Amino acid sequence: MLMQGNAKNNGVFYKIIAIILMIIPWIAYLWISSYNKVQPTLFGITFFYWYQTLWLLISSIFYAAAAYLIYRGEKE
Amino acid sequence: MIGIFGWITFIVLFLFFTFLGFYGARWRRGDLNKLHEWALAGRRLGAFLAWFLIGADVYTAYTFVAVPSGMFASGALYFYAVPYVATTFMVAMITMPRLWQWSREKGYVTAADMVEDRFNSKVLAGLVAITGIIAELPYIALQIVGMQAVLGIMLLGVTSNVKLVSDIALTVSFIILAAFTFTSGLRGATLGAVLKDILIFISVISLIIIIPLKFGGFSSAFSDAQSFASALAAKNIAWLSTGITYLKPLPALEAGYTTLWVGSTFALFLYPHSINGSLSASGKKQLAISDAFLPIYGIGLALLALLGLLAYSDKAAMSLLSKFPLSSMGIYSIPALAVSTLPDWFAGLVLLGIFIGGLVPAAIMAIAQANLLTRNIIKPIKPQLKPETETRISKWASVIFKFTALGFVFVVPATYAIQLQLLGGIIILQTLPPVFLGLVTKKLNKYALMAGLIAGMASGIYLVEVANKFGPLTTSLYHMGGYLIWIGIIALAINLAVAVIFSLPTLLKK
Repeated sequence: MLMQGNAKNNGVFYKIIAIILMIIPWIAYLWISSYNKVQPTLFGITFFYWYQTLWLLISSIFYAAAAYLIYRGEKE
Repeated sequence: MIGIFGWITFIVLFLFFTFLGFYGARWRRGDLNKLHEWALAGRRLGAFLAWFLIGADVYTAYTFVAVPSGMFASGALYFYAVPYVATTFMVAMITMPRLWQWSREKGYVTAADMVEDRFNSKVLAGLVAITGIIAELPYIALQIVGMQAVLGIMLLGVTSNVKLVSDIALTVSFIILAAFTFTSGLRGATLGAVLKDILIFISVISLIIIIPLKFGGFSSAFSDAQSFASALAAKNIAWLSTGITYLKPLPALEAGYTTLWVGSTFALFLYPHSINGSLSASGKKQLAISDAFLPIYGIGLALLALLGLLAYSDKAAMSLLSKFPLSSMGIYSIPALAVSTLPDWFAGLVLLGIFIGGLVPAAIMAIAQANLLTRNIIKPIKPQLKPETETRISKWASVIFKFTALGFVFVVPATYAIQLQLLGGIIILQTLPPVFLGLVTKKLNKYALMAGLIAGMASGIYLVEVANKFGPLTTSLYHMGGYLIWIGIIALAINLAVAVIFSLPTLLKK
């Protein structure tokens, strides 16, 4: 019984972590004043463009981690 | 304006693509007389193939033509496509696995099937289906505009009547496409999508490396774009008016940017073709994992968007573009860059990638429309339909929808290509309450949902007309209290308000 309870709590804990991971990219993109600027540039590309492009990669990493947490132990 | 080797690569690869389309029927053979075999490839696509197929829906004429065109003509506002692809797959990750599981358990093929079951209403399901069919039409039309852009560049200087020859070429391609989707269904489109994605990856990577190296990076592109815009400003023509190096820091534009991406994020996985693609995954976990990795596809989209600005640095591309009217110049920017910077044979490969990049999604979208028509509109009216008849109607309907969209393009001059996709977005977003809320609750009242959908659709279309002063589509943003708001969001707010308020009596009844 105790072990089952723990397993259940762990499941909820992992779900909450997964939800937080999936929400972080939203916060990054909604906070438009943080990236709507020219400097610093990267290879001549202004911050507005490269910062948002970089977040595509970060988003994928966070989503993949979230998917792993949600479907942990499931075969299919 | 492409040499003989370019034509040879283009035509040889197109023939190979056609072969793959027909060969699809033999690939992992199933009984194609069953609708789910034809339409969902027998639900046997693993994580990797599902990644390819769903990604193929993202890499369409929207990516190659509409977004770069918006960047070329209007500027930074159209970079909204990047946050949109970053977050839309999060929406997919939380909604599609549940829909996948239910469709496995209960035999759903479309989202409207789920709506019918959840709210016990064939009428509501029919409304969702009709909305889906209508919303796909401008999206298919956009794919055809992308194919036109390729043909326009290829035929420039070859024939004096570019429009006529390009229309004939498009019609021929559509007949071939119709023939192979008719015989192979989604399998044909899947093999085609694999070829398309391979060509696209080669194209995107080479364009993005070769072009900036040739033209000294992006900083010169920004200043070349600026001088082009200034020259037009002297003639009182608004050009690149939303900013070049970044979005003009006006609250109105920043609101426009945010509502565009947030709204589009929720719209993508309401489209019948996206749902269709998701349901063809072989498992919930595979589906979630392929969704998680799909924002990576968006990096190519971001770079292509920037190429829309880089075109200004390329004198050869600009001289090609100057042969087109200012209002439609943008849609040719990527094809023109390919022709001006790459050797002929390679430019032919890239152009074919962009061409089938419109053709494959158009096929997938028409299959999705056909599914909705047979399952959620015709079947409820004629319930005694045999499965073979159902499949036959679907096949013919997919042919009819493709040619309807083609006719649409021949009649309507699509100068602002991206507006077609945004119009589809406004319409499809109105199915959010029954579909996405339906995944969470079945307590909403079916009549309230119908009223909401109709109110959202009517207000959305009306506001689009008002914003464009009842003329041709040039914007889908609406001025509200000093902010620009994407009309899809306003219409969805009205829709949700109606659906929830009229559901209150049902919700409060214990």
